[in-house]
Amino acid sequence: MELSGPRWKGKNYAQIANSNPMSEIIAQLQVCLSNSESAALPIGTDFLLETEPELTDLFNCTSFGRQLKTSNGSKGYFQLSPEETFYLHHYLNCLKVLINNANLINVNDLWNFMRSRNELFPIYYRAYMHLRSKNWVVKSGTNNGVDYVVYRHHPELVHSEYAVIVDWEKESGEKEGGRLRVWSDLHCAVRACNGVAKAVLLLNVMGYEVKFSLPELLERMTVGERQITRWLPSQCRDDCKLDNDVEADDIDVASDKNVINHTTRYWVVPLQTQTQPEIGEEDSDYAPSMSL
Amino acid sequence: MDGYNSSLPGSQIRLPICPNNSYCCIICCFFVLICVNLGKERTEVSKARWVEEIGMAQVIEKKGSLWVTTGVIRNGNLYCHIEEIGYLAQIGALVLLDEVDNVMGLKDIFTKCADRRYGCTWEFFEAYRHLKSLGYIVGRHGQPWSTKHDNLKPNSDFTADTGFIADRIEELQIGAANLMFDIHRPNSKFKKTDPGAPSFIICLVGDWPPRREEVEYLEEKCKLVPLKFCHVNHGDVRFFSFPKVSLPVLP
Repeated sequence: MELSGPRWKGKNYAQIANSNPMSEIIAQLQVCLSNSESAALPIGTDFLLETEPELTDLFNCTSFGRQLKTSNGSKGYFQLSPEETFYLHHYLNCLKVLINNANLINVNDLWNFMRSRNELFPIYYRAYMHLRSKNWVVKSGTNNGVDYVVYRHHPELVHSEYAVIVDWEKESGEKEGGRLRVWSDLHCAVRACNGVAKAVLLLNVMGYEVKFSLPELLERMTVGERQITRWLPSQCRDDCKLDNDVEADDIDVASDKNVINHTTRYWVVPLQTQTQPEIGEEDSDYAPSMSL
Repeated sequence: MDGYNSSLPGSQIRLPICPNNSYCCIICCFFVLICVNLGKERTEVSKARWVEEIGMAQVIEKKGSLWVTTGVIRNGNLYCHIEEIGYLAQIGALVLLDEVDNVMGLKDIFTKCADRRYGCTWEFFEAYRHLKSLGYIVGRHGQPWSTKHDNLKPNSDFTADTGFIADRIEELQIGAANLMFDIHRPNSKFKKTDPGAPSFIICLVGDWPPRREEVEYLEEKCKLVPLKFCHVNHGDVRFFSFPKVSLPVLP
């Protein structure tokens, strides 16, 4: 099945992305974060990371976390999801995590910590890891009523191509997730996502068992990918994305006064020393986080 | 009822005779709305005679070019399934006679469409009608468009078909996803004697979206022919595909 192509947000953005492969920027992030004293702390269900300027830029370029608005120009503050935190800690092996302001936690203890807070964490982490390890940028899909949206590169450069729904089943094959259980679930997902020009990607995490340790998780859980498309016989085509539909992303960007246009800062002059970000600026595609 | 309603657009259309002879009949009202919307009065009207024994009708007067892509040939004779009859009758291209040559009205034809004894359900008919009206060539899954037998015996040509219908009836009663149609894209060179591989296969889905293992099982049965899933809900006919994909590893 031929996949839908990317929709770049500006002229030459594809070239900018090709000149700055995400894997290379992530490699720089790994080095910088490993050498940093910063450690992530739990806040609510997420994690908070304080960053120095160079790390701030790398986090923004790799689109991990959401940068919080602050008046403190010298430091950056990022809110990381559990999946992002664990991916940086486990898969990229570069993030330190501090629990209860005490000792730095090791990977198995962090795994148990994450599972204790959310019994579905192993499933969502497996799905997140599957996508991020292929160098797709993975962000929350709440805006589109799905689990994740994935981008071919930074959200400032390209629209997200897929809206991801995660389903799962046990090792026995017994269905557990119960996603898309009734027809209206399917119609709703396809209609909502096609309306914002995103194809629906169903990730099926298979072989899940509650008792799995981290090594077992990695070895025995597999991920299947299927696209859900609506076929329009009147037009003799599969409708992955509707043409001429208004992009919800564009509406959000236009109306969101807290959006940073990273283009000049991070991509025309990529990864060089930057000026301090202004208050109220952050990634597009997101609603503004709490201000001071 | 003379089949004429001046309040509707296209009031000149002559409608087939409705035995109920009353505006109170819901089927008639439905037919009026659809027929008016479907367009002009037809001058080429074919005739077919229902054969209860085989659950099909034999075409006795063939008019127009629509039979190039409709009906199945069995030993030189042309027969059509109930969904084909329903569609053609609805658009006024076919008159169906019973075994004593009385004209069968739309209500009876639609009732037969919904009668699972003939390998059809109402939803199946609605899906067929939807695709046929868009110009697709629609045949029952796995059933040949044309067969021949050397030795003529009464009804011997239909042994395979009646067996096929029986299997289909059983599947329809289970209520699971069923492979229903082999579809060819609109094609002026289509030949029943050499139709080629279908462009895709339609699976009519039951009350619930198909599960992963169901999709995989049906894909296996279709071999390499693309599979699409059809959901019909209160006349709304929608099609979905669940193709396997693999997001590339990006640089």
